[in-house]
Amino acid sequence: MTNLDRSNSTLSGSRRSFVLLGFGALTGLVLAGYALFTARGTSTLIVPPEDVALVNQQPVARSDYLLQLQTLYGVDLAHATSDQRRKVLDDMIREELFVQRGKELDVASTDPDVRSAMVNAVESEMAADAISAQPTEQQLRDYFAAHRDRYVSEGIMTVRDLMFDPTDAAAAAQAALSLASTAPTPALLARWHARASTAVGDEEFYFAAKIHLGDSLFDVAKDLANGTASVPIRRADAIHVLYMVSNHRPVPTDFAAARDRVLADYRNESISHLRAGDEAFLRKRATVLIADDLR
Amino acid sequence: MPVGFLRVAAAATCACVVVVGVLLLHRYRLEGRLLQADPVAIPGNARLMSFARGRGEALFANHCATCHGAAGAGDTARGIPDLTDADWLYGTGSIGDIEQVVDYGIRSYHPKAWNLAIMPAYGTAHPSARDGKIPPLSPGNIRDLVAYLWYRQGRDTSHGSDTDATAVARGAALFAGAGGCYDCHASDAKGDPAIGAPNLTDRITLYGDGSREALTQSISYGRAGVCPAWVGKLSPAAIREVAVYVYALSRGAPE
Repeated sequence: MTNLDRSNSTLSGSRRSFVLLGFGALTGLVLAGYALFTARGTSTLIVPPEDVALVNQQPVARSDYLLQLQTLYGVDLAHATSDQRRKVLDDMIREELFVQRGKELDVASTDPDVRSAMVNAVESEMAADAISAQPTEQQLRDYFAAHRDRYVSEGIMTVRDLMFDPTDAAAAAQAALSLASTAPTPALLARWHARASTAVGDEEFYFAAKIHLGDSLFDVAKDLANGTASVPIRRADAIHVLYMVSNHRPVPTDFAAARDRVLADYRNESISHLRAGDEAFLRKRATVLIADDLR
Repeated sequence: MPVGFLRVAAAATCACVVVVGVLLLHRYRLEGRLLQADPVAIPGNARLMSFARGRGEALFANHCATCHGAAGAGDTARGIPDLTDADWLYGTGSIGDIEQVVDYGIRSYHPKAWNLAIMPAYGTAHPSARDGKIPPLSPGNIRDLVAYLWYRQGRDTSHGSDTDATAVARGAALFAGAGGCYDCHASDAKGDPAIGAPNLTDRITLYGDGSREALTQSISYGRAGVCPAWVGKLSPAAIREVAVYVYALSRGAPE
């Protein structure tokens, strides 16, 4: 190879190198530009495709725009008139502008509604994090096993509450004895000069019976077997004798039947823990000064 | 190292960068078109459907299949809806409606979530934490309601000694009156997809097998299924891709 050939070859090689270098640099610039204009938080003049507008760089989401169109006019984008589209967009831009102005004015420091809404929003945000974490079946089963007593069926009873005159203890005692072998009939009640309370008598859940009978009578009733009567119970209003027609006591629920409630309880507990943790964190990082007289 | 090899390597690197760049640009453009497209019009665009469905399938497998199952068939034992049928609890099953669920979830604590309706637990002392005016029902009331629902579903309503017309009539009166069921499920019991209240006249069940026991369980202890909000966790494009995939699932298995 002559010197001229070598020189030409070197020139051609370095030209190729420069071309390749330039191409590489150009590609880099294109990629950097792409990243620059699409990264979150970057100031841009391009409205991202997922948004319909940027208001001081704050996006107005396209999905919200479509939803608003649907809510206001009951139409999708294809069927909305240009006036409807413009109206919805203008309203959303106006709202965004006012929200931004509200932040500038710090309305949260003075407006109790805004404060309340912000507190609710932050609490919901914390809860949303807990909702996102789907517990495994094993976690649910462990939770179920640890809180077994919560998952029982609601008891059901049909009870008669026979009320005797407070001065007629003998009749009440006689009735309690008789009711061990026979159900109360109107004729028997008439003979004992007793009356049946109208508060109970139908089949009802334990919680309802507890409300209707009162705590102390309910405590006696729930332990009665079918077809049995209580001993006379003296109360201020009357002497009561309870006759149990039918008593289905609460029974433990298996995991499959209780799963939905277990999941709800598990989630609620997770939300409570998360909120408590977040609040503790907020308190820890905050500087809170309390007036001398309130310390 | 030979100069020639370096040049080839540099050229290959540049070529790779260019190819990757072109692919990224292509993807970016398709994502942009997908996001800007009117959701109603997407099913008519085969290219966008194919693009979104393919990517949506992978996203579904990663984020949704844990609950909905790999095939999206759901699980009535856990109250997970079947996404492969055309029965929709929330909205009408359009891509826009599905996207809204994926975006904001159901009872997800997101302020824009679907969370208007919660099935009260009528067999408890306090059926609704939200509405203290909703009264509990008695076991007999609940049996009557179940009889009424079975009647509306065209099932055999005879049950032990208490059959038929009397129980159904009592159930109907409760449904339209004191039970307050009509408020969410509509007076014809056909539900309201605007609030996620299911149609009670068909035999499609979200919880259980539609048996008397399952219905009794739902009425007694209430229901309030949850779907998390994915907004902020998935990109807007990914959310729309999932919505397109689910839309395709509901209209027959994706290719």
